[in-house]
Amino acid sequence: MKTYHFENSQRMFKKAARVIPCGIYGHLSPVPLIPPTAYPFYAVRAKGSRFWDVDGNEFIDYVCAYGPVILGYNHEKVDAAAMKQYGEANCVTAPTPVMVELAEYLVDLIPIADWAFFAKNGGDVTSYALMAAREATGRKKIVMVCGGYHGVAPWAQAPGHPGVMDDDHRNCIRVRWNDYTEFERVVEENPGEIAGFIATPYHHPTFADSELPAEGYWQKIEALCRKEGIVLIVDDVRCGFRLDMRGSNEYFGFKPDLICFCKAIGNGYPISALVGTDSLKNVVSRVFYTGSYWFSAVPMAAAIATLKELKSIDGPKLIRETGRKLLDGLVDIARGYGYDLKVTGHPSMPYLRITNDESLMLHQDWCGECTKRGAYFSSHHNWFISTAHTDEDIQRSWAIAEDAFKAVKKRYG
Amino acid sequence: MSDELIKAHLNLYAVLRNLEDIVEYDRETASLVMDWDVSVQFSVLNGPRAYIEFRGGVCTVGRGKYDNPSVRLLFLSPAHLNRMIDGRGNPIPIKGFTRLGFLKRDFTRVTERLEYYLKPTAELLKDEEYLALNTRLTLHTAAFAVREIGLLDPVGRLLASHIGNGSVNLKILPHGPGVCVNFKDGDIEPRKGEADRPMAVMWMKNVKAAHDFLSGKTDAFTAIASGDVMIRGQIPMLESLSLILDRIPHYLS
Repeated sequence: MKTYHFENSQRMFKKAARVIPCGIYGHLSPVPLIPPTAYPFYAVRAKGSRFWDVDGNEFIDYVCAYGPVILGYNHEKVDAAAMKQYGEANCVTAPTPVMVELAEYLVDLIPIADWAFFAKNGGDVTSYALMAAREATGRKKIVMVCGGYHGVAPWAQAPGHPGVMDDDHRNCIRVRWNDYTEFERVVEENPGEIAGFIATPYHHPTFADSELPAEGYWQKIEALCRKEGIVLIVDDVRCGFRLDMRGSNEYFGFKPDLICFCKAIGNGYPISALVGTDSLKNVVSRVFYTGSYWFSAVPMAAAIATLKELKSIDGPKLIRETGRKLLDGLVDIARGYGYDLKVTGHPSMPYLRITNDESLMLHQDWCGECTKRGAYFSSHHNWFISTAHTDEDIQRSWAIAEDAFKAVKKRYG
Repeated sequence: MSDELIKAHLNLYAVLRNLEDIVEYDRETASLVMDWDVSVQFSVLNGPRAYIEFRGGVCTVGRGKYDNPSVRLLFLSPAHLNRMIDGRGNPIPIKGFTRLGFLKRDFTRVTERLEYYLKPTAELLKDEEYLALNTRLTLHTAAFAVREIGLLDPVGRLLASHIGNGSVNLKILPHGPGVCVNFKDGDIEPRKGEADRPMAVMWMKNVKAAHDFLSGKTDAFTAIASGDVMIRGQIPMLESLSLILDRIPHYLS
């Protein structure tokens, strides 16, 4: 099977590095793509489940822009709604009616939601949720899960990272995922001081297996939060509308006070949302929070179109089934070459790891070999399945995976 | 733990250790120490201890106590040791008074060579041999500093506590030098050379790329994406190690 080359990507990166810090910064940085020489750095076109890079290579994309793209790139209905709105009004002195329409849609769709607030990125609304919890309780401490990702605000980054001060973490307490006893102990040790508990619906760290909630975990967390007056916040930025249209908490059977959404809500159009219960509506009204583009109408129109389409085709079910089929096949192919390909997390956003080598080097090489053949597989981050992934994509991905296993088998034996 | 105490650990266990390489790779220093048979014990009150041994043209720097050293130097505090290393103070000799001349004259010439290689200028770095030795020393200092920062510095301890068991190899291609830092159950053990089955590796393309990367002239993100630095394996181990190294300038300028 032919393998790709990335001369134009490398050339463009050298230009970028002269004028942009890191060349490519943040979560799109090539650093965790190992080896970077096996991955494209710059895209020029995208459609459906695929994108094309600056070298003309075509990829079946299983990263989907790290989550936002759930219906596939350049989805016609979403783009049409966005373009229609663009022709009318976007960033204006006053908000547009589409904002009210989207808020009403979310309140109808999500059982715990009595109101909705909009911003741009996931981190905007996780930080706002913390402020709301503190305002609601008059308390300062926030409990979060060790290794959980809630954006890049100083409180959300791990201590010791550049630009993060010790003081940024003074009121943050980290507990282990799925360890209810530890959370209970922290609450006991900080009586009347815990404002909120924030966590993702299930644990999906990078470079490590995903972990679903243990039986009864969320229900016990919810009960203790209710008893102690702690605001329960779900960071549904990554999982939202992938597991359940009503919020991932419904999938796992519990009721938070606040839910943070982003990524899939707009199928690539920049928008995030915080939704919450009626008891917190006046509280968030008191916390001043805004941004220049947070009222832009185009992403709101795109979000309505995305959510309606996802609901009409039962998107979560579709990507769950597509993911399951793809993964079952990959696991079988791996087994044929003597490799144990472990899949964790939900089938619509699985984390994969070849367990034969705990250093991950074998797995990194396999993902790199697949990407060089046209199936964009990340080795460090969970994948994302979209409704645009077809049976043909799956068949092609299996063939690529097989050829890549042959290549790494030669190298590792 | 005070900053002075952590700095004393770094000076004794990461900086002074470079004497081994100066003796091995700098011809001028090698000729100076060729016939030496002397051992110097450094003891800091309420602080670390280390020794330097010169024998058979080889220098060995070690942690802890040396049996019957030729010279014993006492420092009344970690700050006292740090002042001496910075050239602003003198130790208190408590053994080896007949060797005071050696200390002031010969040993000082060796430490001056160390300082010469540890404090580069743009002009000096144009010399390939100088660049290679300076980069070797920087790599070794970094590896041995990881232990001290990771076990003593509050932020370093926190970062190290998240690193799982296993070894990390850092190597300058094509032929080295290389270092290995082994993490095991909360302990950190650096050494020269490479582990056979590392959990993570960082390869630097050549001496120039290694120098630019280790000295902070190029940022890590750009160096890795452009291929000047190659990483594989458990990247969170390398990330934590890198953050630990970021703490060094807090103690050593």
